[in-house]
Amino acid sequence: MTAPSGSGELALATRGLVKRYGSRTALDGLDLTVPTGVVYGFLGPNGAGKTTTMRLLTGLLRPDAGTVEVLGRPFGRSDRKRLFEVGAIIESPSFYPYLSGRENLRALAGSGAPVPRRRIEELLELVGLRDRAGDKVSRYSLGMKQRLGIAGAMLNDPRLLLLDEPGNGLDPAGIAALRDTLRSLAGQGKTVFVSSHLLSEVQQLADLAGIIAKGRLVREGSIASLLATGGLVRVRVGAVEVPRATEVLAALVGASAVRVREADAGTLEVAIDAGRSAEVNRALAEAGIFAAAIEAGSDLESIFLELTDHGAGSSENGVRSLGGAG
Amino acid sequence: MRLIASHLSRLVRRPASWITLGMLAAMIALVFIALAATAEQTASQPGGEAILQLLTFPMAYAFVLTFAIQIGSLFAVIYFAAVAGSEWNWGTFKNAVARGESRGRYVLSAYVALGLLAGVGLLIVFLIGVGAAAVGAGIAGVGTDGLGDPDALLGLPNQLWRAWLALAEAGAIGFAFATLARSSLAGVGAGIALYFIEEFAGLLLPDVVRWLPFQAASAVIAGADTSGISGGAGNPLEPGIALVIVLAWLVGSLAVAAIYSERAEITG
Repeated sequence: MTAPSGSGELALATRGLVKRYGSRTALDGLDLTVPTGVVYGFLGPNGAGKTTTMRLLTGLLRPDAGTVEVLGRPFGRSDRKRLFEVGAIIESPSFYPYLSGRENLRALAGSGAPVPRRRIEELLELVGLRDRAGDKVSRYSLGMKQRLGIAGAMLNDPRLLLLDEPGNGLDPAGIAALRDTLRSLAGQGKTVFVSSHLLSEVQQLADLAGIIAKGRLVREGSIASLLATGGLVRVRVGAVEVPRATEVLAALVGASAVRVREADAGTLEVAIDAGRSAEVNRALAEAGIFAAAIEAGSDLESIFLELTDHGAGSSENGVRSLGGAG
Repeated sequence: MRLIASHLSRLVRRPASWITLGMLAAMIALVFIALAATAEQTASQPGGEAILQLLTFPMAYAFVLTFAIQIGSLFAVIYFAAVAGSEWNWGTFKNAVARGESRGRYVLSAYVALGLLAGVGLLIVFLIGVGAAAVGAGIAGVGTDGLGDPDALLGLPNQLWRAWLALAEAGAIGFAFATLARSSLAGVGAGIALYFIEEFAGLLLPDVVRWLPFQAASAVIAGADTSGISGGAGNPLEPGIALVIVLAWLVGSLAVAAIYSERAEITG
């Protein structure tokens, strides 16, 4: 994974973005900062506001409050041509089912900025659909539609790519190819904004990540710093051993880093890097406590679950910046 | 032009375009064959001679056109609504907006493409209808000398233009319904409902209903129809007024569709 280029210009920024659907608040003051030339992973549970954010960024919806900047300039109602430099898949790729893959790309190229015809063939080659480009889209698998959607998003050779769950339906080889393609685009100075619930995918792909819960950003920063500060080791011991185990672990890592899970009797959570899970095990064993299970949670999943389970509480005090944001 | 060409290219490849055209052409051909097949029996009955006149040129020109419009209006409502609604159902309108396309321009260019295709379709159906009428005339033993009647031929462009306008207006109604409903099915349903409500309400409230879109369209055609066989309300509008009313319905429907699309929050 390459480091963010950090050219200084922001590819994308939102300030205090609010969107309501009737009485329900989908976005509640979202502040995003996405530098140029990075892959940014936008994470959140279902209903957190990811797709609403994508729609606001592409002018499909209009915010109730707040501002959006796209490619360094304000993006409002009259700035639709800014999207000529943006490619997007929102929610799921959409096509005319009675047209072939190639014809769908041509149809898409009929709107927005003009696209050279050879570009369509290049993209079909890039996403591995050249051989099936003449088949009707209604006969495509989900993965093939997803690949065609990615080709569609890249039609204009965009400076900013907004992809909503791009890994949906892709097989492992397809995901690996997508990852390579997106990394390559970032290497060329383009910005890729990927919303996803595939945390391991984001971990492998993104330079930066933002985690959204209940319409607010609860964490934003580089993947490396997120992992470094967000590690979690779960330890399961006998219920009667919990007080003693808590003392031992508190002596090892500090009392504030040890938490007893009330909902899961006999389980303790230790907020340390996953690489130190053996150290935890040894400390417990030396104290005569033998763990029934130890789970190293030093991945985005544990951080994600922690933040989104308790996201509202964290967000009360604003976004916790992790630094190294490129 | 690029956008209109793109819409046209898609519409030509859309199976519904050919199915609609094929059904209309088949219906008109069947009507003339049926008329011809029963001509001998009906001619001997009271009023039967008038039926035979439908196969007699130049009057058959007007009958073909009138039939094409009256059934074609229903087909136009359905077809235009299906196309407009599918842009929302399939998410392809969303795609265009996310690419920076103007919403109003996209919607209006889709309508223009539909209108152009409807014009071509009308011409094809008219030619098939004339051919079927000529064949029917042969079967019924009616002469086809009137096919080349200079007055009738000179009047055809005016009749065809009016017919096209009527189809375009009927289509615009379905187009607007489907856009407002963001759904093909709802648009088609609402369009068909209005069509038949007008037909039935015309019996009870002819002075009101004659201002409504389908009855006004029929009156535009009646103005061009020298045979006097056009249907419509019992008290149709004067053709010149009907033309203005049809244009008003057409422009109004498109304005509603375009303004709604500009303001719509695209969530689907």
